[in-house]
Formats: sequence, structure tokens, C-alpha cells
Amino acid sequence: MTAPATDAKAWLERIRALPLKERVRVMNVCGGHERSISMAGLRGALPSEIELIPGPGCPVCVCPEEDVYAAIQLALRPDVILVAFGDMLRVPANVPKNEPRSLEQAKAAGGDVRPIASPQEAAKIAAAHPDRDVVFFAAGFETTTAPVAGLAAEGLPPNLSILLSGRLTWPAVAALLESEEAGFDALIAPGHVSAVMGPEEWRFVADDHNIPSAVAGFESDSLLAALYSVLRQHLEGRAFLDNCYATVARPGGNPTAQRVMNDTLDVVDANWRGIGVIPRSGFALKAELASFDANRRFELDADAFRKRAGEMPPGCDCARVVLGKIYPNQCVLYGKACTPRNPIGPCMVSDEGACRIWWSTGIRQGAAHSADEHAAARY
Amino acid sequence: MMDDRHVSLAHGNGGRFMREMIEEVFVSHLGDSALDVHLDAAPLTLPPDKVPCITTDAFTVQPLEFPGGDIGSLAVNGTVNDLAVSGAAPQALTLNAIIEEGLEMACLIRIVKSLAEAARIAGVHIVAGDTKVVPRGHGGGLYLATTGLGLRDATWRLGFDRIRGGDVLLVSGPIGDHGIAVMLAREAFDLSGPVRSDCAAVTPLALPLAKIDGVRFMRDPTRGGLATVAHEIAAATSLNVRLSETEIPVRDPVRSVCEMLGYDPYYLACEGRVVAIAAPDAADEVLKLWRSLPDGEGAARIGVLSQGAGHVVLETEIGGERLLEELEDDPLPRIC
Repeated sequence: MTAPATDAKAWLERIRALPLKERVRVMNVCGGHERSISMAGLRGALPSEIELIPGPGCPVCVCPEEDVYAAIQLALRPDVILVAFGDMLRVPANVPKNEPRSLEQAKAAGGDVRPIASPQEAAKIAAAHPDRDVVFFAAGFETTTAPVAGLAAEGLPPNLSILLSGRLTWPAVAALLESEEAGFDALIAPGHVSAVMGPEEWRFVADDHNIPSAVAGFESDSLLAALYSVLRQHLEGRAFLDNCYATVARPGGNPTAQRVMNDTLDVVDANWRGIGVIPRSGFALKAELASFDANRRFELDADAFRKRAGEMPPGCDCARVVLGKIYPNQCVLYGKACTPRNPIGPCMVSDEGACRIWWSTGIRQGAAHSADEHAAARY
Repeated sequence: MMDDRHVSLAHGNGGRFMREMIEEVFVSHLGDSALDVHLDAAPLTLPPDKVPCITTDAFTVQPLEFPGGDIGSLAVNGTVNDLAVSGAAPQALTLNAIIEEGLEMACLIRIVKSLAEAARIAGVHIVAGDTKVVPRGHGGGLYLATTGLGLRDATWRLGFDRIRGGDVLLVSGPIGDHGIAVMLAREAFDLSGPVRSDCAAVTPLALPLAKIDGVRFMRDPTRGGLATVAHEIAAATSLNVRLSETEIPVRDPVRSVCEMLGYDPYYLACEGRVVAIAAPDAADEVLKLWRSLPDGEGAARIGVLSQGAGHVVLETEIGGERLLEELEDDPLPRIC
């Protein structure tokens, strides 16, 4: 751990030496990046002109409310074992009072809900319980969807079905860039997503929108190297895609992962919670795997008359947090009605959620606009 | 016919089976001359110039056996360590065993042997005990509870009230080993790794600090880990605890598992470490002493107490900082 820290300090010195005159807004689109930035205390260590904005980087946060609701209803069926990544267990859906509003509450009400850390565990659980239906609620970005596709490509056990809520990251960034106000001057592109899909996926940011960008890993040294790159590009009036995670995010990405994804999944228009439908931003099981789609196997029909179906909870600003339009602590609920103990919006639930990350690293009061104010808002 | 390879309800009925289990499993393997099972209460003789200290703890760890320890060694060391960090030399333990019907007798014997060995190493006698058997499904195989009596020098004062701004925080070795060892032993999340619990008596680390003036306070960072001890100190003193990320010792495999699952090692349990607070001019002496001892090679100075509002602040590797929050719920594995 010593070498990266030394490198990180050197990058920090280089960044401090840059002749920044005005505010530069740098967005990251990966919960892992935001977590590393916050855990390392980077914001407080950087010059005040630099704003680091958490953008759409949390798959749990954008998983549609309807999918969470469907998972809860499935979990309450006595014949079903519902498995999901731990983060999904506490995401609340909109339900009438006295009904379980999260998978965790469904579990407390008697549902068989099991947290898992890898898709292989879903197959293992299905194999261990051949007499029961196992439903894998798979929410995630490309990095998590790839192993789900791998599982589907190997052949799924007959009693396992998938409630797939997979999303692609770049279309959300493209949608932001095509909107009236993108809200950022430079982009830190996601490291793991690039490792799977290839860093080239992110070229459009510089090529089509003239925005400096760099792929980063998750240690401070890689993040600061990427930050230095985009700041220099910005100062020099240039824009290209740099790769500061070249050892892992190789050209072309992971061809095996891409092949199994192509073989088993279609790219479809998809709904992002609180944001709406983004074209070609989601994954769905191919037609020949339809019998493994939990939506079909259990004939899940969205209850069109369910109150507040698909909506954000009242007052919750998670959607604008996800889009980087506001900082977590600019939401009126942040730290007041909404805390990790009693989360209202998904961004306060997931370890990848910006609200949860900010709260757990000690940011308390509201309205941070610059790094200085950000620092002042701490404790 | 009764299956003698598993504990049955009859082993808790007060009759022959219970007597046999107590004699053949507990008395014979504990091998403690201070244990007289024919007495209802054990008399103790206490020296008049010492302060008797008493503590109690219950143990419900799952699985019962894990790399580096088991519920038996844990039941001894957990209670011994609470005495040791209070400055008391452990003398006597009582032992309660609540056994679930169906527990393998061989497993019970292994655990009792391990418990006896831990007591021998810690220099503490098991002077009284009780066993109960609960029906299948009513317990996690085996629960243990121990109460410990120790003796402290009347002149040695330790406590939150002695802590001052500028004092130094030290830890006797790497943190988080126990938490990760037990998690890996559960075989959850398809992970495995070469991590052993640090479960051990800290008496040899804690009691010699009596010689050093300026040692203010000690605690063993068990449930909730180092961050929780730091919070207890911050809350009791209204001082800020400033921890230095680069100084806190964490073994590489522990760090790897933490990175994979999104855990913060600062919240993971230790079962054989001491956190001490010492005056600035005494800190080096504590460090030198610890590093000369078998379980103290990894000792480190990890932080300071500063004026503030009772926050726990982590100074990060790159010179930034963040707050370590009070632990809320069990950490869940993260999604990617």
C-alpha cells in the first residue's frame, strides 16, 4: 500500500501546481470511484477550484421501483427463495403501510431472502434446493451483468430464474451530454466497466462532446493520475480519452465477457428510477432464454393501480443526485428524514450510493458547492 | 439405546448421564485442581491489598470452531481480556455451558480441551460451572458464558477520566484478524483465505504496562473493532480521536477481503489485541515494551487525542481526512 500512496502524493502535488483559475467540474460515474474519493478524503486535499461530482454510478440507485416491488412480492411466496446482492435488501419500494417495503422486511415477514456476493452462489443455492423456485434478482451495471450472462451461457438450473435489472453506464452519460446542461467539464470514466466493455466505449465523450476524459482505477494514485490528465486537457483546450488504468482496462475489454453477453442478452430501452427511459441502456434475456425470465415464469404483471408505482418517495431527490445535478447533502431529506438507519431513497441504502458514501464518511450539513464549502460542511 | 456420540436431553436431566458428562467431558479435560464439582459454591481467598474486579461475558460465535480458535478458547480469552485491560490479573473463572441436543460429543470434548488449554496459558482457574442441555433447534450447538475474577493493584488507576488532549493511541498488533477469520470460516460469499483469529489472552501485553507511568486507559477492541473503541473514548472525553490510516496495522489478506466486500477493517473484531492510551512521553516506552513481547511485534502508534467535539477522524494516506462513523448495522457485501 505504500507505493500507491507515494505516487498519489506526487500526483496531488502535480495537480496543486496546475494554474487553475476557475471552477472545473469533474464527474465520476462509478460508485466505487466515489467511494475511493470519499474514503481517501480527496476532496479536502484538492485545490478549491476542483469540484468532484458523483454522477450515475450506482446500479442499486437506478433500479426501477417496479423491479424492487416485484422482487418483494416474489420473496413473499412460500415456494420461492429470492437471492440478491446484499445492497438490494434494504431498498424501499412504495407499498401501503403494514406491507413489507423492502426485501429485508419481506425476510422478516417470513420470506426466504438470501444475500449473495456472486452469481455462482445463485446457481449453488438452486442446485441445493431442487424442489423450490430460486429467483435471482440481478441488478447491476455491465460488471455485474457479465457474470450473470456467464451463468446463463453455462446453462441455468431448471428451478432458477432471473429478475434482470441490468443497465449500461455510457448511455446515461450520453443522455446527460445530450441534455441542455450536462453539468460537468471533464469525466473520470469507470475502471471496471472499461475492463469488461473496453475503454473505447468512452471515446464519444471527447470525440462527440469535446469533454476531457480518463479511465481510472480505484486507488488514489490512479484516480489522481486521471484527474491530473483531465485537468491538463481542460487547461490546454484539448479533449481525448486517456487511460490511467491500462493494466486492467485493456483495449477491447474482455472479449469472453462480451461474447457471453451477446449470446444471452439483448440491449433494450430501459427505465432508470426517477429518471425515465434511456434508449438502449438496459439488458434483457434473449428470447430463447425467456423461460428463465422471472417476469414470465411468474407472470408478474405490474399492478397499474398500485399507488405511487414507479415513483420516487415524496421529497426524495435521489434522481437528481444520481444525475449529478445536486450533491447528496443538498437534498432536503439528507441526514434528516433519510439516514442509513432509515433510508428513504436508494442512494442512502447502497454502498455505491452517493448519499450513503457521503454520510458514512462524515459529511453532515447541507449545500456544498466548492471544495472549501465542502470542507466547511464536514463535522 | 442412547447414542453416546451426541449430546442428548438426558445429559441435562440431573441424573447419571449428566454426572457422567460433567465428569468425563468437563472435569477430566479441564483438569483443574481448583474445580471441586461436589461443592455448591467455591470459596475464594483474596489478598487484602488488592482490588477484586469481576466481569462476565457470553459467547455465541458461529461456527463453533474457526482457524486460530474456537468458542472454548474465546470464552476464556474474552473474559480474561476484559480483566486484563482493566489492569486486573485474572484469577478465577466460572463456566456455563448451554449445549444443544445433538451436538457431537467429540466436538464438545475438543472445545472443552481447548478451553482448558486457554485457561492454562492465561493462568486462570475454572472454579465453578454449570451445564444445561436445550432441545434441538433451541441453540447454536453450544453457548458458553464465563464470569471472571481478577485482582488489581490498588494504586493502578486507569480510566476515561485520566485521558488528556495530546495523549497517544497505541494498538498491540494488526486489527481485524478475528472478524475476517470467523467470516471466512462461515464459508459465506465463496471466499477463503489464510487468516487466523488473533484469539489469545492479552494479559502478557496489558499487565506489564502497570510499570509505566502515563498509561491512562486500555481496552480490547472486540465487537465493533478499533473504530468502536475510538468512539467510546471520544464520547467519554469529548476529545477528537485522530487516527492515522498509514499507521494502523492491517494484514494484507484482511485488507483484501475488506476491499472485496466493501468492509472497513476499523470495524472488525479483534480477540487478542489491546488499545492503550498513554501520555506523549510514555508512548515510546509502551511501544518498546510491546514490541519486545511475543504477541506485540506488530504494535504501532496509531493516533492522538485532540481538542474537538468527540469525533473520530481518520487521516488518510494522501493527507485527506474522513470521519469514522459509529457502527450502525452489520455491513452487507457490496454489489460490484
